Order: sequence, then structure tokens, then C-alpha cells
Amino acid sequence: MMTRIFWNDYVVPFRPGETIAAALGRAGIINLGPAGGPARGRVFCGIGACQACVVAIEGGAPVEACLTLARDGLRIGSMPAVVVSDE
Amino acid sequence: MSDAPILVVGGGPAGTSAAATLAEAGLPVLLVEQRDQLGGAIHRQVARGATHAVHAPARHRRNWAELAQRVDAAGSRIELCTGTVFLGVDGDGRHLLDDRESGRVVARSVRAAVIAVGAVEKIHPFEGWDLPGVMTAGGAQVLLKETGVPPTGPILVAGTGPLLLAVSAQLAKAGNPPVAVLERGRPWVRFNSLLRMAWAGPQLGEAASYVATLLSHRVPYRTGADILSVREDDVGLEIRVRRNGTVHRLRARHMLVHDGIEPNRVGIPLSDPGGAVPVVLAGDGREVLGADAAILDGRRAAREILARLGMRLPEPGEARLTAARNVQAALSDLFRSALPEPTPETLICRCEARRLSDFRSLPDDASTREIRLMGRFGMGVCQGRFCGPTIAALRGEAVPSAIPPRWPLRPVSLAALADLKTDDLES
Repeated sequence: MMTRIFWNDYVVPFRPGETIAAALGRAGIINLGPAGGPARGRVFCGIGACQACVVAIEGGAPVEACLTLARDGLRIGSMPAVVVSDE
Repeated sequence: MSDAPILVVGGGPAGTSAAATLAEAGLPVLLVEQRDQLGGAIHRQVARGATHAVHAPARHRRNWAELAQRVDAAGSRIELCTGTVFLGVDGDGRHLLDDRESGRVVARSVRAAVIAVGAVEKIHPFEGWDLPGVMTAGGAQVLLKETGVPPTGPILVAGTGPLLLAVSAQLAKAGNPPVAVLERGRPWVRFNSLLRMAWAGPQLGEAASYVATLLSHRVPYRTGADILSVREDDVGLEIRVRRNGTVHRLRARHMLVHDGIEPNRVGIPLSDPGGAVPVVLAGDGREVLGADAAILDGRRAAREILARLGMRLPEPGEARLTAARNVQAALSDLFRSALPEPTPETLICRCEARRLSDFRSLPDDASTREIRLMGRFGMGVCQGRFCGPTIAALRGEAVPSAIPPRWPLRPVSLAALADLKTDDLES
């Protein structure tokens, strides 16, 4: 049985019990953006420690893709860019 | 207070062992795990809908079956909270738990706490380590255990230590052998350490089976290899590697990096077995001794708590913990190597996008506080779990240990905090 989540505007299928990270990985989505930031999001440590795979979620607080199970119809996207000022 | 539960944080081998031991002594236990299933990284269970599974060594399967059976047998004496993130201890000594399913933070009063949050991988930074496509070998391994399916496209595995062998062999068996395994150390030349490893019976057998798998899939295992930099283009990653004085360029879609592990201690409450609410650390989160020892160490932690409550348990096998310590010492000597100097452009702190050149521009005698407040190192959302060891190595002195425990250990939504539930009214 396959169900789906939405990464920005892409439809991403997932299997029951699978994390957002696993679903994005199988769909070949490695770059979690945003474009132009000094450090883009990506699944890195896989255990919630590095916070690099945090994604924005429609209607809720951002979550770690590696810890959070995919739910049918979930809409997720890139976090805002980290901006560092050059003093 | 005596009917308050004993909190156990972390559902890996150490936490599960501690929880089962305490429950078997008749005490109520609150077992908190951030994922949807118990197991931790080592005993990570396959996702319900997965169609493939990754082969685990028989010893690990046996160990986990026994622990899971003990948790089952404890029945209602263990209150299991999965999908729940431990945020730390607030100013009133209450333990804060973020229940991700309900979006609520709950503050619990507990009788004692066992913290068994495992280890974090060390990553020696190089230019480009922050790129999408680069991930930790351990992170890739837990994903593989969950899905049974390796990443698609060429994979390069690099860094140091025995995990490189394990992950590479599992990837090969799952159908995508790495293009190469680049080990920074030169384990073959460390005869004394190899001899000391002869005591590590089960681990040696495991390592031999991984080597056999890599040989049969013709995966090159190269020692003495330093990663210099990685850059990305339209089709993937280009990795510059230095070996025996020659620089090579390799291509891959994924790069898995790993430089050993260390206890996950950043922000974690300090061990305080004598406190009003005793706190004991257990497993790789206390001292990296490996999966087998973590089960013993969970039992040791439970025994320490029980002793405080006037209950006696037989000694859990300190000799076996000492043996595990000797194996770890031999392993780290076996893979010992000099770290290459990162380029000035290398990101040291990914969270705050701070580079080596930013660190070098700080005064040589900058205090921990100055490194944090002026340099912004260790100030990001990972709280320095990844840049901490690097900065410690650069200045020859640990940074994270100077940082007192504080909550929240993980970012938490203001809405959840504003709606905080306490159990004060329940008792």
C-alpha cells in the first residue's frame, strides 16, 4: 500500500511506518533547501541530533524529517534560509 | 513521591535494559522514546510497510528479542511513551517531555531518572561536508535498517573506524555496494592493537564477515586516505582525496562520513546518583562501550537507583564492562590517525554558518563564552553537538563540558510550551 506526502509541489509516495526522511530519500530528494542559503537542509545524522533535516510543516511546528513518520496528505517544505550578516 | 515513576529516557539497549530491570524489581517506570518503536540505533526495527529487511548479526537479534520480551512481560509497570522527545529538566526539577503526536509538552515529577540517549557520531569537517548528499554513515545505516533499501546512485564511504566496514557491507548486501571505502587510519600496521583485538571474540567475527562481503562485491577498501574537499555539480559530488601524497578525484551521488562516536551529552542532565531526584546515565550516552555492554550498563544504572531506594541487586558484571572498555581502547588505537587541517572556507558550525576562518579570527585565548557569544560557535539549533568536538580539537580543550545542562534539548514550539501540562494536580 502506498500513500503520499507533498514536498513543496512534488508528490512523494511513502510506505506505512516510514519517516519523512525515508520517503524523501527514495524519491531522490536529497537537497532540502532553501536555494541560496549558506547551508542547505539535508538528512544527515538520522537520529534527531543535528537538526539539519528540519522541515516546515503545514499547520504545525517544524519537525525533524528523520524522526517524524509520514502521514497521508502531509504538506512539507524547506525551512527559511539561515542568514548570516557580514559585519 | 514514592508512587511517582522512575523515568528512563531512550529506548535503545541501555534504556530498555534499565526499564525492564526496574520494573522487574516492582517499580513503576516511565519509558520515553523519540521514535515510534523501541530499539535505538543498533536495534532499529524495520518500518511496518517495508518490503525488505537488513540482516542483523544473530547475537544482536537474540539480545533484542530478550529485551523486548522483558519489556512485554513487565506489562503495565512500564508506561511506554513513544514519539516523545525528552526536553530536559526545568527550574523546578520537573522533567519535560514533548509528545509530538499531540503537540503537547508535559512536565512530569519523577522519583529518579536514567538517561540513556546513546551516542552521536563525530564528523571531522572538510570543505563541502555540509552539502546535500553528504550524510553520516550511522544515519545512513539506521535509514537502511528501517527501509531495507539503499540510496540509489554511487555511494562513497569515508572517515574512520569499524562502522565504515559494517555500513558498507550492509549496503552491498542490500544491492548498492559503495564505489570505495576510504579509511583515514592504517589499521593493518598496528599489530599490537590487532593482537589486543583478539579478545573481542564476537566483534571480530562480525568484522570478518563484513570484510568477506566487501571482498565478494569487490569494494575497494583504502587506508591512509584523507578527504580534502567535496564540491557539487549538476550530477553529484566530486570528492578530492589524498593518499600516499597523491590527490585523487572521485565521483559519487552520496557520501557517507563517520569519524567514530562519542556520548551524546550536550545539554543532558549531569549524573547525580545522590541527588533528591537521583539521575544516572547509562549506555553509550555515559561511556561508549558498544551495544552488548549497553545492556549491562542499563542494568548497572538500574541497580544504582535501586540501591538508593534501599533495594539490592546482584552485581551486573563489571568485569564484562571492563572487557568492553579494553576492546574500545584497542579499537581507537587501531584506527588512530592524524586529522588533516580543514581549508579556511570549511564550515565548522553548520547551524550558524561559521567557517574555520571565523574561528581563526577570534583571539587565541578566547574563552568558551567568547567563542560562543562572539564567534557564534555552538549557538545553533544542534547546540554544538557537531562543532563541539571540532572546536575542542582545534583549541586542544573541550568546549561542550563547560556548558551546563539546560533545556530545551531540542527546539520546541512556543504553542506547545504555552500549553504546558504538569502532573502536579494529578497526584
